[in-house]
Amino acid sequence: MTAAGIARLLPDLASVQLVESEEIGIVGVGEATLPHIRGFVEKLGIDEAAFMKATHATFKLGIDFRDFGRIGESYIHPFGSFGEEVGGVGFHHYWLELARHGMARDLGDYSLAVAAAKANRFRPPSQDDSLASTYGYAYQFDATLFGPFMREFGLGIGIERHEGRVVTVERDGASGNVTALVLADGRRIEGDLFIDCSGFRSILLGQELDVPWEDWTHWLPCDRAAAMPCTHATDDIRPYTTATAMPAGWRWQIPLQHRMGNGYVFSSAHVSEDEACEAIRAAAEGTPLADPRILKFRPGRRAQSWSHNVIGVGLASGFLEPLESTSIYLAQMAITYLIELFPERGAIDPRDRDEFNRLVDMEYDRVRDFLILHYNATTRDDSEFWNHVRTMRLPDSLEGKLELWRKAGRIEKYSDGLFYDASWIAVYVGQGLLPEAHDPRAAMIAPDALARATERLRLAVTGEVAAMPGHRDFLRAEAARLAEAA
Amino acid sequence: MSTPREPLRRIVVVGGGQVGILTAIAVRRSLPGCEVIVIGGAPGPASFADWSPTAMPFTNKLHDRLGIAEADIITRAGGSYRLITRYVGWGGAGQAGVVAYGETLDPALKTAFARDWGGVRALGSGAPPTASLAQVLAEAGRFAPPPPGEPTPISAVDYALRWNPAAYRALLIEQAEALQVGYLEGVIDNIEPGEGDAIAAIGLNGQGRIAADLFIDCSGPQATLLAAQMRFAFTDWSDTLPTRHVYLGQPGAPMAALEDRITLTGAGWVSEVAGRDGLQAMLGAPAHVSREDALAMLRVPARAVIALTPGRVAEPWVGNVIAIGDAAARFDPLGPLNLDLAHRQLDLLLEMLPGRTISPLERAEYNRRSGLMMDGVHEVLALHFATEDARRVFGMRALPGRVAAVIDQFTRRGRIPFREELPLLGQEQFALLAALGWQPGLPPALRHGDAGTEARARAAFEASAQAALAFAPPYAAWLERALLASRAPAG
Repeated sequence: MTAAGIARLLPDLASVQLVESEEIGIVGVGEATLPHIRGFVEKLGIDEAAFMKATHATFKLGIDFRDFGRIGESYIHPFGSFGEEVGGVGFHHYWLELARHGMARDLGDYSLAVAAAKANRFRPPSQDDSLASTYGYAYQFDATLFGPFMREFGLGIGIERHEGRVVTVERDGASGNVTALVLADGRRIEGDLFIDCSGFRSILLGQELDVPWEDWTHWLPCDRAAAMPCTHATDDIRPYTTATAMPAGWRWQIPLQHRMGNGYVFSSAHVSEDEACEAIRAAAEGTPLADPRILKFRPGRRAQSWSHNVIGVGLASGFLEPLESTSIYLAQMAITYLIELFPERGAIDPRDRDEFNRLVDMEYDRVRDFLILHYNATTRDDSEFWNHVRTMRLPDSLEGKLELWRKAGRIEKYSDGLFYDASWIAVYVGQGLLPEAHDPRAAMIAPDALARATERLRLAVTGEVAAMPGHRDFLRAEAARLAEAA
Repeated sequence: MSTPREPLRRIVVVGGGQVGILTAIAVRRSLPGCEVIVIGGAPGPASFADWSPTAMPFTNKLHDRLGIAEADIITRAGGSYRLITRYVGWGGAGQAGVVAYGETLDPALKTAFARDWGGVRALGSGAPPTASLAQVLAEAGRFAPPPPGEPTPISAVDYALRWNPAAYRALLIEQAEALQVGYLEGVIDNIEPGEGDAIAAIGLNGQGRIAADLFIDCSGPQATLLAAQMRFAFTDWSDTLPTRHVYLGQPGAPMAALEDRITLTGAGWVSEVAGRDGLQAMLGAPAHVSREDALAMLRVPARAVIALTPGRVAEPWVGNVIAIGDAAARFDPLGPLNLDLAHRQLDLLLEMLPGRTISPLERAEYNRRSGLMMDGVHEVLALHFATEDARRVFGMRALPGRVAAVIDQFTRRGRIPFREELPLLGQEQFALLAALGWQPGLPPALRHGDAGTEARARAAFEASAQAALAFAPPYAAWLERALLASRAPAG
């Protein structure tokens, strides 16, 4: 992604040398994304349909969280809103008022993205201001195909690829900057700027420059995943990712066109690898296509993502578990900022480096708090893992947000970074964390009138969903359209 | 089970200027069951927000929400339209630049992430971003407000309103009365403490005790209620904002212009706001400029001179007292930022309107966001005094917050770092920096310069400019007709 992004968007500024080794495999799980990926694909000039075909991608309207707040309960965190603000008061206040009178339906019934997801239907949002425009979408694709797709794309626009393993990193004695990489076969690759996309090994930023790692395991204890692909168990293809809470973590189901990605993200302090593999075998719904594979990770972030002339992108700079599908976003975000702050004529201005690190840190911190919420907002006391996350001490930044919600039903507002009001409300309400009080203005409408108005909205949502094609049908039609165009 | 909070039963708004009355209208509309009382008349001329003859486009939206009709402002409050502000002389003699409103980019680019991808880049091609439809229309003297909800060649043009403050206030009073907002004239002679930091009641000279759940302080710079709080603290901006005296000129001849002007002179900045009651000129001078020099530069007789110590209150919401406008922050009336800040703070209060029991965390969140708004104004103002020519007039000043980083990113990369709650959108900041004389750098992604795309964009702009000019009527004649029509006898 990084090489293709730079080659496409900064064509005359730099020649891009991609160093990679086939000895090092791709983490072969289905990858769920956020709607921002569409901007990236479009910016690079990649045709959506071709991209989806090549990566066996499906559309994604949100994530279905099961058993997080309480076993047996579920909710969808949609790429879209719930209802609409009336008289400057957020919809959720009216919903809370209806709930008080026992007249509220599920909050998701007032969200087009949620209703469409539940019905396994999909159509791209409209471009007007109507109800049909109130959601976004992302992709679920095969990560083993996405990397090669981006590589091919990059090679087509001028990236030069060097197959081989890095064995030595050469540095300038005075500045400490990296000057060249030496590969196993002795080839030497010089550069002005080095971008470390080597994953957890972080061979430049971590191993060579020794940039410290800030560990967040105490807040996000999951440090392993057992991944196992399966066939689809049913004819439908879900236009959403499923995250189901497990005794020591959670498991994902990511539907691709040709199969279902499965995996158990777990805390090795609370369950053994063998037990986790057994658990994912038992839980997976389709026929397994391979044995479970263990992936290891550490939640946290490097103290600086840009140090000297090395920039970490993706896991080399930080890791947050895939609970909200943020991995690709975090890489994409770093690439975007890097392109904006790209060094001029090879000279790095420390002000640009500081700005890059400020922006990246802010993004990581905001996602981190949101992820922690999923674990902490629970009544589960059925395992040591859930007892730990339910009672752990939270970051102050999250504690303040939670208290504001509990006391007044309000969301801390920001415009930069990820996850705005609707996302926080989805998780709070979905995991049973209702505020003590809501906006007094919501109680100024007679409950019956409020119920009628929200029922009209719900019926409009239902009507829109009924007019949408099934997700699988839509994918088929798109594939046929692509074949015809070819 | 969440229960609705017990609604406020009585709100007292202290200060009956245009800020206080609009605030009273807003809270009354928001909580029809709550008694709302305005106390006292309009603050003095030092309360810049209360005497501002103009606002920013944000106010149009607020007016819409509160039922204040634009047509009434035009026909009954001396209203007129501004499309652009021209900055003259900030980047040296003969230099000028224009700031128009709005993000004129494709709406698809408006998300935070898209801003990072493209944002101001489309304009960062070396030349200052003068290519706005607003500027084309203003310079041709053609405009009429586009009919809402109907696509026209000028629908993308955002505008601000000007008015006669006294007539506008009278219009608001009429609305407030229709909403049964109470009014008491008098001097506050007692503040009766309640629980914690709260005020239980105020005493009004000769009229006894007035208790309320919430007190909104719109009393202008003296912040009558907030400043009486034990926790009151003021953050002084004198180190970074150099203006110490503001000279308010007598109105000049009426002027139907679509532009206003902010000029850097040897004695300070001069702001000229056109309007139907005459050109309103103001001059802001640093401490060392003599009264004579200032008046000579103002060129019209002064009707008042205001001493200014710029700064903001540390916490605009203490206990059950919330300060809005000049009671929360005082600073140069350089452009309509004073009233714009008051209106954005009011909007925030409406969003976060509390119940009778106020949670400390909602106060903290309000103070955080209101604080960001005030700091944002501080940074925007400080940009003006950071240019070389402004420093010659006003002296060297430290740059607050992220101002240095913003100028650096702009001049090297044509990039505007995003900050929360700023009074200007990214593209407006871009235009302001360019108008103040800074040369935007080129974003890395535009270095390779695609001449074809640029030519197509220019051609597209040229075509939309021609369509806009063909569509918009001559402004002065249109305004005259609109006013005549409003005076036509009914039936």
